[in-house]
Amino acid sequence: MLRSILYFAVVLAFTGVVFGQSITGSAHDFSDSTWNSSGEICVICHAPHVQDYTNPPEPLWNHQVTTATFTLYSSSTLNATVSQPDGYSKLCLSCHDGTVAIDNFGGNTAGTEHVSGDALIGTDLSNDHPVSFTYDATLATADGGLFDPANTNSGLGGTIDEDMLFGGKLQCASCHNPHDDTVAKFLVKSNATSALCLTCHNK
Amino acid sequence: MKSKIHLFFLVIFFTYGINFYSQTIVSTRHNLSVSGPGTIKAVSETEICIFCHTPHNSSPRSPLWNKPDPGVTYTLYSSSTIQGNPGQPDRSSILCLSCHDGTIALGNVLSRTNDIVFVSGITTLPPGTTNLSTDLSDDHPVSFLYNSTLASQDGELADPSTLTGPVKLEDGYLECTACHDPHLNVNGDFLVVTNQYSNLCLYCHQKNFWNNSAHKTSNATWNGSGTNPWFHTNYTTVTENACENCHNPHTASSQFRLMNFTPEENNCLVCHNGNVANKNIQSELNKPYSHNVAAYNGIHDPEEPNIVQIKHVECADCHNPHAVNDVTANPPDANGFIQGVKGVNADGNPVSEIQYQYELCYRCHADSPDKPGSPTTRQIEQSNVRLEFDIGNPSYHPIEGQGANPNVPSLISPLSESSVIYCTDCHASNGSNAPAGPHGSIYPHILKYNYETADYTQESYLAYELCYQCHDRNSILNNESFSKHKKHIVNIRTPCNVCHDPHGISSSQGNTTNNTHLINFDISIVQPAMMGRLEFIDDGTFAGRCYLRCHRRQHNPKRYP
Repeated sequence: MLRSILYFAVVLAFTGVVFGQSITGSAHDFSDSTWNSSGEICVICHAPHVQDYTNPPEPLWNHQVTTATFTLYSSSTLNATVSQPDGYSKLCLSCHDGTVAIDNFGGNTAGTEHVSGDALIGTDLSNDHPVSFTYDATLATADGGLFDPANTNSGLGGTIDEDMLFGGKLQCASCHNPHDDTVAKFLVKSNATSALCLTCHNK
Repeated sequence: MKSKIHLFFLVIFFTYGINFYSQTIVSTRHNLSVSGPGTIKAVSETEICIFCHTPHNSSPRSPLWNKPDPGVTYTLYSSSTIQGNPGQPDRSSILCLSCHDGTIALGNVLSRTNDIVFVSGITTLPPGTTNLSTDLSDDHPVSFLYNSTLASQDGELADPSTLTGPVKLEDGYLECTACHDPHLNVNGDFLVVTNQYSNLCLYCHQKNFWNNSAHKTSNATWNGSGTNPWFHTNYTTVTENACENCHNPHTASSQFRLMNFTPEENNCLVCHNGNVANKNIQSELNKPYSHNVAAYNGIHDPEEPNIVQIKHVECADCHNPHAVNDVTANPPDANGFIQGVKGVNADGNPVSEIQYQYELCYRCHADSPDKPGSPTTRQIEQSNVRLEFDIGNPSYHPIEGQGANPNVPSLISPLSESSVIYCTDCHASNGSNAPAGPHGSIYPHILKYNYETADYTQESYLAYELCYQCHDRNSILNNESFSKHKKHIVNIRTPCNVCHDPHGISSSQGNTTNNTHLINFDISIVQPAMMGRLEFIDDGTFAGRCYLRCHRRQHNPKRYP
């Protein structure tokens, strides 16, 4: 019996399958917050019928989107071309840059709750891992210290490109899964032995 | 059952762990996590990258630096020969120093509230070769702009545009990462390429003459005696150690030019003492008369004037270790042992690279204000050997060119009146198997053979062994040139040196009437004749007169033949 359990656990660990976990109870669960009168969880970010914000990006985005201009990361050893945050990263930053209130959802623009502490990224991204850049074989070759995302296992079931990139771009969601805090810090997988870093970084 | 489970995990580990992580930071000492292979590692922290990097809220320094700046002022490297201008460590170098200067705890990272705890209670990097301290004066300089201007000013540096391979600059600056890749240690010391044969050094340092230098090509090994000359490498031959035969890029013994040992000569003598090189120079220098390099310390400088201003001698005054080789030459040309050194030419002008051997000797023994004096008190005093050997002189030993005298019957073949000789034909280490060159001798003035100068010396081959090397004893004693040679030398026991001034007589002081045949009397022995006359007069081939008083005999004059 013990043998079977261990075997199952090992298989799960190496295939990247994780136990079913949900956002419920995580730091992203605001159902108990006083400012969330609906008591719903998803509504902070998503609504089935989005109507209040101009040009809302997918997926059914129900939160005011940041319009900040960000200071980008730069380094003499950086080969990627980093643009202003776009895609999913811009959605994350719509709370985590601190310019938009958490409770500015569902059409509200008069919210007062702001992200603070470690979760506050701010608009200065120069001290944060770059996002919203194309990560492909060309970049990997130019850098020399990155794996080719098209043929490197992510440890999550497929390749880096399949599991961690969005339209070929690295975004916040490459490392973080906002719906699942099984691994601390909403990481998509454990960073013990820096395994998450070393998924892409060939050091 | 349990052992099977263990086996299963081992298989998994070796399949996914080792193969995946081989040749990465994970297997290096820079993996400071609990899984690290070194002795300096965390008690329980599993993350590897965290000791340097953090994905969020990093220090302002890239790449996503996770440590505070040391905030100290470093003592920088300096040298009389450096053209670069190292600033306080910056860019990647200050990152490395945030552990390697020993001031900041290894576990002090920005992304943790408390320092990560290390085994054995280690906080900052323990003393040792990896702890560079805040005194960087004994380390290869970093944080200097390495551009084409620097390369051309230095003259022995590669143009940085050639650095397209493993050695990389950072925004045009040379930093620790030019030589070290902190993530990869396949070459040892985290070097970006192997330094066997000084492969790494030579990417930038292109020393003149180096390709033919014995220090590049020699396969000599250390015999295991005395001090290990290669204490900071794993290489076992001169050619493999190359630059590192003498230089140490970190924690060098002498801060100037990062030498392995102090004082200066020890860098040479650690090998040239019979333990590595064929010839034992140390034993020559131990002789009573030597170019005593041990007597001077800190005076020699590579940038010193060609004409030496303060008396000293170091190995590097005569030898260029980047150039030295065993190529032979004929007088007066410089051979490989003294290739690539500066000198002073026959006109007294500095030359950056000598062509003739005597140009090296003239650095100290010619126009130098601190040159040694003459050992013999003579009628005409001159201690500037450049003036003594001038080919315009009435007589001189043929150092710079053919001698003045067309009739020298004593010369032993293949020498002839047209021959040219080296300074080192007379001034050299004594002994039949001694290494060439004037390192040390049991005879005064570092003469290669015995040369008696005291009055009333009994003539013998050994008494004037030096002279008889070139001047046949039978010819001299048979009076083939000067008809009274035997009488003077054998009967009256007058040494050669009493009448002859072996270097020569400057045309500014002597003339072709009185000073042919190197005649310039030792006035401690030869006195003026009555009426104060002390003079040799040349009366043509094998003929002349002397006015003098010597050994209580009056010559007033005496004529020959």
